[in-house]
Amino acid sequence: MDVKHYNQKRLRNAKFITPPNVLKAKVGYGGLSDAVLERAQNVLENNTEDFRPLGELYLKQMKDGIDYVAKLGHPTNEEEDIARILFPCVQLKANGGMFHYPLITRIAERFVQFMEVVEKLDPETLDITIAFYTTLKIVINGEIKGDGGPKGHALVEELNGACMRYFEKHNETYGNNPTS
Amino acid sequence: MSYNLQNIQILLVEDNQPMLKLIKTVLLSFGVGNVITALNGEEAFKEFCLFNPDLVITDWMMSPCDGLQLSEMIRTDPKSPNKFVPIILMTGFSEKRRVLSARDGGVTEFMVKPFNTRDLYRRLHKIIEAPRQFVKCEEYFGPDRRRKPKDQYEGDKRRYNDEEQVIDTEAEETDESSLNDIDFR
Repeated sequence: MDVKHYNQKRLRNAKFITPPNVLKAKVGYGGLSDAVLERAQNVLENNTEDFRPLGELYLKQMKDGIDYVAKLGHPTNEEEDIARILFPCVQLKANGGMFHYPLITRIAERFVQFMEVVEKLDPETLDITIAFYTTLKIVINGEIKGDGGPKGHALVEELNGACMRYFEKHNETYGNNPTS
Repeated sequence: MSYNLQNIQILLVEDNQPMLKLIKTVLLSFGVGNVITALNGEEAFKEFCLFNPDLVITDWMMSPCDGLQLSEMIRTDPKSPNKFVPIILMTGFSEKRRVLSARDGGVTEFMVKPFNTRDLYRRLHKIIEAPRQFVKCEEYFGPDRRRKPKDQYEGDKRRYNDEEQVIDTEAEETDESSLNDIDFR
């Protein structure tokens, strides 16, 4: 066996370090009991923060992003342009479920998945974006908490259907159901 | 017997005030002794240098300095008082490329929002009970980025220098009777 290859000087030397486990030394053993975790979960679930002002703020940022891209007048795949719409929606996804709006999280999550896959923002993808935005607005303005029941489910399915139709139409670019 | 979190100090960084308040309340109900807060990465790094907390929990998307930039400062800035501090990054993103970029930014754990208290506790428990070793090389300093346990493959070994093959060769060269002592599964 030719060992010359393995006898060359290494280009990258990685050093492994095991830092002292300060946290372990401070907290001791045993974990947290179920009672403590349940109490903390109750705190989380029974928070009385009003999500609406925050939701409206992120919706406005999303709308500003949509308007900005629409005004460009040409398709864009610039990360910065996409982020103008995507980031506020990620915030809606992250915060909705923490403040009693899991339907917002579901809808926004679907949109984030869509945006992470589409190659460019053009009139077609912008139409889908506006459909998501409008639905999110209805949920927040209507203060539809919880999962929205059968109507909430139908809304999500409708938006999901719009994404699927887009991917099927552009099958040569995306293949089958890239976000499923 | 259970954890006594009274002696630990956590730096919580979040630009969204209601979320900051909520997570702080959850941490206090876990029994954490002291939760320091900051509204962005820049402010957080100053607090970090001042208080040298035991753990940092930070949101990703913040301005003017986001959670990943904070992580990089903690790991590499000469002013950082503890480059090994565990960092939990919270975000609404869950796509693979985002997770990979967080991993490469030196964060210890990644937590997708929305989350529940058990999600948060699982990460805390992992950091305490199974801390990652650190890797220092030219292009990276931070927790070991490998997540999968080693050597889960149980099928046939195929390489020349796989353990069984080496033993096999040695056995041929030495004494055939010693083959009985080798497990060839």
